[in-house]
Amino acid sequence: MVRTIAAKDLTTMFRDGRLPWAGGVVLALVVTAVTVGWQRQREIASERAAAQALDYDDWVAQPERHPHNAAHQGMHVFKPDPPLAIVDPGIDPYVGSTIWLRAHRQSELMFMPAQDATGLQRFGELSAAWVLQVLGPLLIIVLGFDAFAAERELGTLRQTLSLGISSKQILWGKALGQFWGLGLLLGPAAAGAAIVVVAGRGEAIDVDAAARLGWLGLGYAIYLAIAVFAVLTVSALGRSSRVALVTLLGLWIGTTLLAPRVASDLSRTWKPSPSRLTFNADLGAEMGRMQEQAWMANFGVATQWSPDLPLDKWGVALQVDDHAGYSVMDRHFARLWDTFGEQQRVQEWLGLAAPVLAVRAFSMAISGTDFAHYRTFSLAAERHRRVLQDLMSEDLVERADPRGTGHFDYRAGADLWRRMPPFTYAPPPVSWALRNSGRSLAVLIAGLLLSMAAAHVAVGARRTV
Amino acid sequence: MLEAKHLSKHFGATAALDDVNLRVDPGEIYCLLGANGAGKTTLINVFLNFLDPTEGEARINGLDVTQHAIETKRHVAYIPEQVMLYGVLSGLENLRYFAALATGRHAPRAHLLVLLSDVGLDEAAALRRVSTYSKGMRQKVGIAIAMAKRTRALLLDEPTSGLDPKAANEFSQLLRRAKDDGVAVLTTTHDLFHAKQTGTRIGIMKRGRIVADLSSEALSHTDLEALYLQHMQG
Ligand SMILES: Nc1ncnc2c1ncn2[C@@H]1O[C@H](COP(=O)(O)OP(=O)(O)O)[C@@H](O)[C@H]1O
Ligand SMILES: [Mg+2]
Repeated sequence: MVRTIAAKDLTTMFRDGRLPWAGGVVLALVVTAVTVGWQRQREIASERAAAQALDYDDWVAQPERHPHNAAHQGMHVFKPDPPLAIVDPGIDPYVGSTIWLRAHRQSELMFMPAQDATGLQRFGELSAAWVLQVLGPLLIIVLGFDAFAAERELGTLRQTLSLGISSKQILWGKALGQFWGLGLLLGPAAAGAAIVVVAGRGEAIDVDAAARLGWLGLGYAIYLAIAVFAVLTVSALGRSSRVALVTLLGLWIGTTLLAPRVASDLSRTWKPSPSRLTFNADLGAEMGRMQEQAWMANFGVATQWSPDLPLDKWGVALQVDDHAGYSVMDRHFARLWDTFGEQQRVQEWLGLAAPVLAVRAFSMAISGTDFAHYRTFSLAAERHRRVLQDLMSEDLVERADPRGTGHFDYRAGADLWRRMPPFTYAPPPVSWALRNSGRSLAVLIAGLLLSMAAAHVAVGARRTV
Repeated sequence: MLEAKHLSKHFGATAALDDVNLRVDPGEIYCLLGANGAGKTTLINVFLNFLDPTEGEARINGLDVTQHAIETKRHVAYIPEQVMLYGVLSGLENLRYFAALATGRHAPRAHLLVLLSDVGLDEAAALRRVSTYSKGMRQKVGIAIAMAKRTRALLLDEPTSGLDPKAANEFSQLLRRAKDDGVAVLTTTHDLFHAKQTGTRIGIMKRGRIVADLSSEALSHTDLEALYLQHMQG
């Protein structure tokens, strides 16, 4: 029964032109987005790899100089583009992908979390994720707003019910018809994306990327299913298909376009994060205090870099100064990032009302382009920076400090530069991403159960005549 | 087979059905005759559980229609006054779809085409989209759907509306054959001639009440026209 109804719905959606036209537009956008994403990624991947290699070559090839000068010059690290950034670039376009590792300070690049860039803001960059998140529900509205309403107006619902078919069977038939229609459109697109993501880099098959893609497919399937049942609910309750359409468009604007903006404001109100200025001021103040204490304890001077410091202690002082700051930086950055994480969690919970929030979080996390992934990259970069600083300082302690007043005449060369390893970064595996996505996935599943329940109540509540 | 007991249905102050009692046994064609607004459609709607009765009960095959909403509908086939079909599907596709829902299996195409030609739709017409059909053609598809269901009872609400006289006549013969096979038929009409032609039993309905109930014997020596006019005027 259910399949018979689904097949009929699919045929009518085809014949009245909705599936080919509306679906075709969405499909074309998805395909374009994936293609553009793929090209962008191929460029980025080679650019970043080249830049990373070049930057390290520059480091090794730098002239003989005082190691602390070299530390100031520093090096750059580049975030590798995750394979699924093709589908969902996440926050990457907003936060950049390069971190400059240099003396004294952790890079604060990560300050502005753009994870909650609103739907409208994201209009600019066409990504498959955006098309699915924002236009997916719109497509489902176009395909399904009159699923019940028009059949009631037409009288075919009566005809169907008179045959001894229950309204629940009709509901499931219509839902299945929509799934088939969506599957017909998005199935081949997903297969294409899978080929590109898993094998498109011309390397061995990327198992982690394949697993991520599978989970991503599941997340979007749940999200679109929520929309299907929500649309059927409204269609069953609406007095006419026109009323259903207007209601659904209003809901779409509210839950996919406005909700992200509102959620972002709410999350910042409930879990306030400091401004960049405040953060830097607080961090600077506490680092200063801790470092001055360390200077007093180690060298008996009241201020950092006091002229009273004998030059044969200069390398040691650098070490002491750096290490006094590390834990302060760790604490401040952890607190800031935890706050961003809490804001993110608030938004994920709000996904119960606007599922786009949950699927957006899930999609970025699984694609490896969310804030959590960025945090691990940022931490890896900071670890690398400390390796660099410590290496330079140790060399100073060993070689320059013994020169006493001649400290600053010391020059190190390629031997030292080469002891600094190149930066390597392995993004966390899919299992790690999944552990971070339990909440958004649970919210999506809850949303699906809710919309299914609503649809069942709706088709039972409304008589047909 | 079909039974109404003390059946009433009120819409606010209007009594669309007022203490209706009737019984249609297998092999009977009960023709309910009444002017527009008499309550005929309401009665059919109650039998199909599209409306809950205010009082009394309706039974199909001994089962109360409100308690066994789905099952009772499986025992009857229904043809409405205006058969509603999917315009983008052909007559054949509509029949195939509704027949599959009614019977739970997909009938072979040849079988469906025979059903359609039985009700007067040739193959060329059957393959056209229903959006190009006249009302009478849609009605024929509706009849074919009802026939495909092969039930022991038929609920027909002015089924011949929109049919030309020839097709209406063929439909009457179709009903007669069904009757001979032991099917119980409840059909409504405001057309006295049609009632006389098809009914084995005629009830006259007025403002929700059955004011006259004539068996086939009674029919043969009653001036139905006079009786009907008398009721319509009174
Ligand atoms: N859904 C409804 N709401 C209110 N009144 C109705 C409704 N359906 C029918 N009626 C009223 O009930 C009476 C019987 O209508 P109906 O059964 O359609 O008559 P018939 O089919 O004999 O022409 C009419 O007065 C009609 O206006
Ligand atoms: Mg009527």
